[in-house]
Amino acid sequence: MIYVAGIDIGSAFSKAVIMAKNEIIAYDVMPSGGNYKLTAEQVIEEALTKAEISLKDIAYTVATGYGATSVSFSSETAADISCLARGVHYLFPAARTAIDIGGQFTRVLKLNDRGKATAFLLSEKCATGSGRFLQVIARVLQIDLEDIGGLSLKSKNRVDFNTGCAVFAESEAVSRIAEGAAKEDILAGLHRTLAAKIQTMMARLGIEPDCAVVGGGAKDMGLVKSIEEGLGCRLLLPDEPRIVAALGAVLVAWEKVSKGGRYV
Amino acid sequence: MTEEKKPEERKKRRTATEAAASIGPMVKAMITDVQKAREEGKPIAFTFIACAYDEIIRAMDIVPSWVENYAGICGAKRDAQRFLERAESLNFSRSLCTYALCGLGFDSWREELGEMPPDAPWGGQVKPTVMLGSGQILCDPRNKWFQAAQHYMPDVPVYDVSLPYPAYADDYDFHETEGYYVKHIVEQLRGLIDFLEEQTGHKMDWARLEELVDLVDRTYDLIVDTYDLRRAIPTPMGTGDAMNTMVPIQFMMATQQAYDFFTNLNAELKDKIARKEGVIEDEKYRLIWGGGLPSWFALGDFNYFNSKGAVFPVETTYRTLESTRDFDIDLKKIKDPLEHIAWRWVKTWTYWYDKARKRPGSHPDVERLIQYIEDFKIDGIVMHEAFSCRSWHVGLIWQLNHLKKIYRDMPSLILESDIIDISSYNEADTRARIDAFIDTLEAVKDR
Repeated sequence: MIYVAGIDIGSAFSKAVIMAKNEIIAYDVMPSGGNYKLTAEQVIEEALTKAEISLKDIAYTVATGYGATSVSFSSETAADISCLARGVHYLFPAARTAIDIGGQFTRVLKLNDRGKATAFLLSEKCATGSGRFLQVIARVLQIDLEDIGGLSLKSKNRVDFNTGCAVFAESEAVSRIAEGAAKEDILAGLHRTLAAKIQTMMARLGIEPDCAVVGGGAKDMGLVKSIEEGLGCRLLLPDEPRIVAALGAVLVAWEKVSKGGRYV
Repeated sequence: MTEEKKPEERKKRRTATEAAASIGPMVKAMITDVQKAREEGKPIAFTFIACAYDEIIRAMDIVPSWVENYAGICGAKRDAQRFLERAESLNFSRSLCTYALCGLGFDSWREELGEMPPDAPWGGQVKPTVMLGSGQILCDPRNKWFQAAQHYMPDVPVYDVSLPYPAYADDYDFHETEGYYVKHIVEQLRGLIDFLEEQTGHKMDWARLEELVDLVDRTYDLIVDTYDLRRAIPTPMGTGDAMNTMVPIQFMMATQQAYDFFTNLNAELKDKIARKEGVIEDEKYRLIWGGGLPSWFALGDFNYFNSKGAVFPVETTYRTLESTRDFDIDLKKIKDPLEHIAWRWVKTWTYWYDKARKRPGSHPDVERLIQYIEDFKIDGIVMHEAFSCRSWHVGLIWQLNHLKKIYRDMPSLILESDIIDISSYNEADTRARIDAFIDTLEAVKDR
């Protein structure tokens, strides 16, 4: 059996996917921490354990993401946008636009019928354009990050924010708490702020159906709903949206070994 | 004020042409010449690029000191932060033009010490005799910078020139009003000469001015001819080099040295073309640098593009001139040197107007992009949004969208950083964006 691996070392989370015969057999996700090299070794080890194989069984490894160059055992690196396009295409062949809400950036991209990115935009260097914004607010509201989406969906009276800046939004959230606003209403307002940024990017890029949403932010159903409302369309959502870039990387790896004819 | 450590100088960037490689010593000599002029008591004028009065300063034997250039040098040497921080400590907002902040930080520090700040890049920027503002309806810091600098140099007078040009509208023929603009510009230039004569005691040498006006016309034409050689495939010179060869265009105009530089570059490019020697061996993607000033501390990114098979045969940045032979008037017939300068100015800025009016919905900036895309066989567009330079960068996204609307969709990349504030830059992120952009170019080519 030929195994290949894809690693995505993101700014917030690292992911590893192992594939055999063009199918995912195992994956793992863990926080990236401050040592990308070590995290890469740990996340692949976890995935390998789940697959019940060892690193020497991996024929080819493609690394992507913010810390791709820190992956000591990779065969090559690939651009994250390209990997996202591959991953989205594998999951949703009809998708022509995708939104990736990552820890540091939000990326929006167009892809063709072969899973190649043909255009992309990244959010500006500002936390309000990324999942980092939600992390900041979760801390302020003293709630777990994974609870944000569910709480936001319960909102009955959304609080609208006056700022598009994460730093100011944090202090504005504190003010609203002091005024007695409910957490769910604050969260719904913050989701609207982030969704509006994403809508602007989509307007610049030009949305084409179908549109998928991936990345850690896509686990936040409150945010996904807010984006859907803003864009006026349903978004395709994978079961595990965090591993899509790693999935794209492993597909690149699979293509290498199958095209190269060295192993199959 | 903290005495920050001077950073280590970076390795020199690899250039494709010998001409570009020769620029560093030329700039250093230019800075040294200004320092020497100060010692010799010659009048020195702080001034800006694309000021249009290069000939006037030089004909009056006044030494120009290009403040944007010095800030750029600090940025390229990755030694601008301490001057930016000093300006910030003086209550200037960090969101202002970082060229201006760097200059203000430097000048205030020098005036406070009574000598150059420690380890000033290339010996430092000397105190001028006069400061010549030059907004050109393009850039407000070029009007306000020197007024602010007077806080630290109250004895240095400022003269503010702002040379206008007709606005573009597709339902209005600018030719109807261009003559009025010329008259206004001539008056501004006369005022400038009066000011300089009064402040420096140097009289205008009108015969010399006429010679220099002719030299500038010839230099403009030579530069356009030379840059057009870059249409060749493979291209013999990229934008990375053009960010060096902008020096004679912007800081040495109206000198024989600038003319000779482009004569040599022209010969070098022809030689490379004859030998089919390109910037890179395997040219896969031809890109246009479609707008935005560069990050002076990150010019190595052009080499990174090259390493991915991409070259830049053309750019709009710093190409602030057109061939005078292509103007719709015969400049040679305008004998009055000030009128000549004024017409050259107006015709340069309105150069794309008539072409734009012929394409429904077009605009001069977009028309220029279209022409370059076709002439230079371009596959994609790269722009740079420098956060601190809003006046130059504000319309870039609009231009891209408009290009798509009236011409065709092309792969595009917008880089984000600054001209000299290195804290805005992230090399890993920038290169990840470039990698992704290269992949999109490949995908579009395969389509």
